[in-house]
Amino acid sequence: MNAPVTATVAESLPPEVLALLNTQDGTAFEQALDVMVRQREQHLFRALGVLARDLHGAVSRLGSDLANEGVPDSMTDARNYLAEVLEMSSKAAHRSLDFVDRMRPEAEALANNATAVLDFNSSETDPAAVLARQAKVFANACGEGLNDMVLVQSWQDLAGQRVKKVVAFIESVESSLLELVRLTGALAGREAPVEVAKVSSQDEVDRLLSEFGF
Amino acid sequence: MKILVVDDFSTMRRIVRNLLVELGFSNPLIQEADDGHNALTMLKASSFDMVVTDWNMPNMTGIELLQAIRAEPKLKGLPVLMVTAENNREQIIAAAQAGVNGYIVKPFTAVTLKEKLDKIFERLAASGASA
Repeated sequence: MNAPVTATVAESLPPEVLALLNTQDGTAFEQALDVMVRQREQHLFRALGVLARDLHGAVSRLGSDLANEGVPDSMTDARNYLAEVLEMSSKAAHRSLDFVDRMRPEAEALANNATAVLDFNSSETDPAAVLARQAKVFANACGEGLNDMVLVQSWQDLAGQRVKKVVAFIESVESSLLELVRLTGALAGREAPVEVAKVSSQDEVDRLLSEFGF
Repeated sequence: MKILVVDDFSTMRRIVRNLLVELGFSNPLIQEADDGHNALTMLKASSFDMVVTDWNMPNMTGIELLQAIRAEPKLKGLPVLMVTAENNREQIIAAAQAGVNGYIVKPFTAVTLKEKLDKIFERLAASGASA
C-alpha cells in the first residue's frame, strides 16, 4: 500500500520514520507506529516527572519557609494572633462602654445639681452661681461626648469584620497549599499520606501538613 | 416597645442598645441575639415590636432572617431595621426586595438611627390609619 519514499525526502527523515513509511503490511505498520508513540510518551512522562519533582520541592520549601519565617511562626500562629486582636479590641471597646455607663449618670447628676443651684441663686456675679453655670455647661458637653464615644466603638465591629475576612483568607491559602503539596507529591511519585478527600477541620489540615513536614 | 437586637459582635449589640436607650426606649425591654437563627427562635417564642439586625452573621445572616420573618405568617408584619457594614448596591436592593423597613450603613450616628426609626414608625402609623 505504501509507495517507497524517494531518496531526497528519505535523507531528511529520522530512521524510525523512514522504517515506518517503508513498512509493507498493515499490522507491522501499526506496531511500528505504536512503538514510536510509546517512546514519545515515555519522554514526555519522564519530563513531567522531573517537573513534578521540582514543583513538589518548591512547594515544600515554600511551606517550610512559611513555617520558619520567624514571627508569626506559622499560619496557625497568625490565625491565633488575629483572634487575639479581635478579643483585645472587643475588650477595649467594652471597657470604654463600661466607662460611659459609669460616667453618664455622674454627668446627669452634676447637670441636675447645677440647675438646682441656679434655681435658687441665678446671680451673674456670685461665685457659686457662676460655678454652677459652668458646671452645667461642662456636664452637658460631657453627655454629648459620651454619646460620641459610644458610637466610635462601632469601629471595633467594622475592624473585627475585616479581621475575620483575613482569617478566612489565610484558611483558604492554607488548604490550597495543602492540596498543592498533595498533588505535586502524587505527581512526583510519592505516596500521598491520605486519600484525596475534603479536609474539613483545622486539626485535620494541621495534621496533614505536619505529615508533609510543615 | 419590645426590641430584638441581632449582631454577632457583642460590642455592636451593646452600642445599639445604648443608643436605643438614649432615644428613650426602655432598656429592660431590649433583648439580644448573636445570630439570625437564635433571633428567629426568640421571635417565634415571644412577641416583639421591632428587630434591629446586622447582615453578616454566622449560621443565619440578616437577610436570611428577614426572609424567614416575611415568610412566617405570625411575624411577617414585624418592622425590621438593618444596621450593617454591607453597602453595595446589590445587597441594598436585595434587602429592599425582601421587605426591609430601614437600612443603616455602619458606622452611623444616633441622629441617623433616630431618623430611620421615626420614618419606620411614621409609615407604620400611616398604613395602620389607612387600613
